[in-house]
Amino acid sequence: MSKQNNMSILLKGLLRENPVFVLILGTCPTLATTTSVDGALGMGLATMAVLICSNIVISLLRKFIPDTVRIPCYIVVIAGFVTVVQMLIQAFIPDLYETLGVYLALITVNCIILGRAEMFAGKNSVGKSALDGIGMGIGFTIALLAMSTVREVVGAGSFAGNEIPFLVENGLTIGILIKAPGGLMVYGLLIAVVNKITKGKLIKKKEFSCEGCPSASSCHGGCSAEKEDK
Amino acid sequence: MNMEMVKTLIIIIMSSVLVDNYVLSRFLGICPFLGVSKKVNQSVGMGVSVIFVMLVATAVTWPIQAYILNPLKMGYMQTIVFILVIAALVQFIEIFLKKFIPALHKSLGVYLPLITTNCAVLGVTINNITDYGVEDSNAFLFSMVSSLGCGLGFLFAMVLFSGMRSRIEESDVPESFKGLPVTLVAASFISMAFFGFAGIVENLLA
Amino acid sequence: MKKYIKSIISLTVICAVIAALLAVTNSKTAPIIDKNQKAAANKALLEVLPDGGDFTAVDLAKYTLPESVQEAYTASNGGCVVKLTAKGYGPDMIIMCGVDANGVVTGAVCLSSNETLGVEKTYGETTKGATVGSIDDLATVSGATMTTGAYKGAVKDALNTAIILGGGSADIRTEEEILADNLKAVLPIGEGKFTEVFISEKLENVSAIYKSDNDAGYVYVTKVGEEEIFVGVDANGVVVSEVADDVKANIEANAKIMLKSSLKEVDISKYADMPKHIDKAYKTTNGNYVIELHTAGYGINGDKYTSSGEYIYIKVALTDKGEIINCVTVKQSETDGVGSICADKDFSAQYIGKDENTYKEIDTVAGVTLTTKGYQSGIGKAIEAVKIMEGVA
Repeated sequence: MSKQNNMSILLKGLLRENPVFVLILGTCPTLATTTSVDGALGMGLATMAVLICSNIVISLLRKFIPDTVRIPCYIVVIAGFVTVVQMLIQAFIPDLYETLGVYLALITVNCIILGRAEMFAGKNSVGKSALDGIGMGIGFTIALLAMSTVREVVGAGSFAGNEIPFLVENGLTIGILIKAPGGLMVYGLLIAVVNKITKGKLIKKKEFSCEGCPSASSCHGGCSAEKEDK
Repeated sequence: MNMEMVKTLIIIIMSSVLVDNYVLSRFLGICPFLGVSKKVNQSVGMGVSVIFVMLVATAVTWPIQAYILNPLKMGYMQTIVFILVIAALVQFIEIFLKKFIPALHKSLGVYLPLITTNCAVLGVTINNITDYGVEDSNAFLFSMVSSLGCGLGFLFAMVLFSGMRSRIEESDVPESFKGLPVTLVAASFISMAFFGFAGIVENLLA
Repeated sequence: MKKYIKSIISLTVICAVIAALLAVTNSKTAPIIDKNQKAAANKALLEVLPDGGDFTAVDLAKYTLPESVQEAYTASNGGCVVKLTAKGYGPDMIIMCGVDANGVVTGAVCLSSNETLGVEKTYGETTKGATVGSIDDLATVSGATMTTGAYKGAVKDALNTAIILGGGSADIRTEEEILADNLKAVLPIGEGKFTEVFISEKLENVSAIYKSDNDAGYVYVTKVGEEEIFVGVDANGVVVSEVADDVKANIEANAKIMLKSSLKEVDISKYADMPKHIDKAYKTTNGNYVIELHTAGYGINGDKYTSSGEYIYIKVALTDKGEIINCVTVKQSETDGVGSICADKDFSAQYIGKDENTYKEIDTVAGVTLTTKGYQSGIGKAIEAVKIMEGVA
């Protein structure tokens, strides 16, 4: 295993296969928890912790878990780590627990985690899986931070809770950005920006449909139906 | 059932369909919303399946929380138990439909596997416990009605959006916006429209 | 078959291991979470009882407390915090009040309210330092009597609760209950059911009259010095409760006037220039007038329906010289908490004793101009109506 190889596993999550902007996974927390930088950072780190732990454990167990009950086993492992993270946050960062609410429990069904378990950790060594978890986790966190920075600075005129006097005093904030419609709007615009920068090279092959969906392998029915309709 | 009760139930339904729409304001179930809502008939199929699964899931998870997890002081097992129950339920429903109601299976079956990892279903079961608790004598009724409302809201948003989407597909948008970005921007407008309902429901029946 | 068994075993093992992991984490974090939640709950309580220390919830079923009490907590420093409801305008206000070990209010906040004026947000500050003895003397805010009065009542209930929790006994009757008890005490034959009578005659030192629903007699409320006393009178006008001789003489004289008094309706249609808002007019046997009228307030202003579209209905008793004997608001639909002050007894009673020349001396209330001006013009019309009926206009 060359060093170069490990490096690329770590780095691909940052941009080339960024889970949020390129693979379009984990849209639900991306939209729901990016109203403030604090919340987004918390969500990003919590997800990263679960992702790394579950990747390691699933990779360790990959020879032990029978193929037929693969998905339920992954789900149990992931939900277990989510609950652990949930309890730790509730105990030590109660404010964050309040902010994230149900979305913390919903990390369980974040497609990124099950997707990485299915596509990477279930097939690769522990070390590589851990690196993949770190890379994807950082990519996810950076994406959330980018989203939340735009939304909080422009929408509320503050950054991580610190008011930016220039924006507030001159009334330059656009309140709707921290509301639900603003989330969808900013997400769309940021994807467009990434498309522009990369000249659409990354996203073309991953246009949002079955290829980008982690459950693709477990739901042949759903995808073939869609393909037939096309 | 008295008037007060009926009023409460109507408010629960109205607010979960219009104001706190699961897709457009809470962002739950956004993946299928963006992925499957390309054609109206697919949207209806997905929406109906989600309503069905939400109702069954709530009917099963609420008693589990009330009569098993809480008495055993194992509230922390909520997430694991719920997601497993939902996954098993979806499998079971699929097998059941295939065997006994093949016609329904043909129209809904393809969407069922997609629902396991639909965060709206897990979200609604957890939210019901958080919002209505398990102590109150009406909590189960409220939970079921709220599940129905959330499912209807999902269906409503999907169908509305699929109509809009078929037009976007044919329009000429800038290269970088093609595909998902323009879809998200369009979804943002629908969400904005739903945003306006907040005041209505608050004052309608108050 | 072997495949299935292996699947089931591996899934079960994974579930068991994860469950064990969760149980361990839970046992470590649960005490911390408990502590956090307790601290968060305490924080709200500490706001009204800053030196409270730790709080313990009180089992309300163990005590007889005022009905408004919702929750109570005793503090480790000997004080307590009481959460109560208060009926202002609209939905109940929720008020939290802290009382220290010496029975002094340390703070009060309104947790939720829907009052129009918003005085409840700041009124709590003024109750600081009040005790059971001093709370009654605390001023209400003029123009928001009902809201602040209810607030004051809640704080008083909190003070009484503190005494009861401390093992003492306190008078926790509501104002209505106190009134009912007073009435019952001076006229037992009234069987506890009374209705207030509209005073239509000029009486000496009588602030209110209640008639028992079974026609057994009346209760007159009069003042001796600063103190209000209740006097029971039977159906023939004889004082039946224990009072000083001079009071007895005065009440019997008043009762004689009232017993003789009856109302005869005046046909107002025969007076061409009668103001149009006069609904009915009566003449009493003693030559006084009772006039029922409606007047525009904020609900309806001129021909414009500005709000509820309803008039204010007033009943006024006047002498033949146009001096106001009594005045009450019968019905109003003014804005809750603003114009609705016209329903306050204190407000309408200001006009008692005024006449043609002096009724305009009553100030209109700032912020409630339309209602209070409308009320004043209604009084003016009543005076005018008397003049017309007396033929002096």
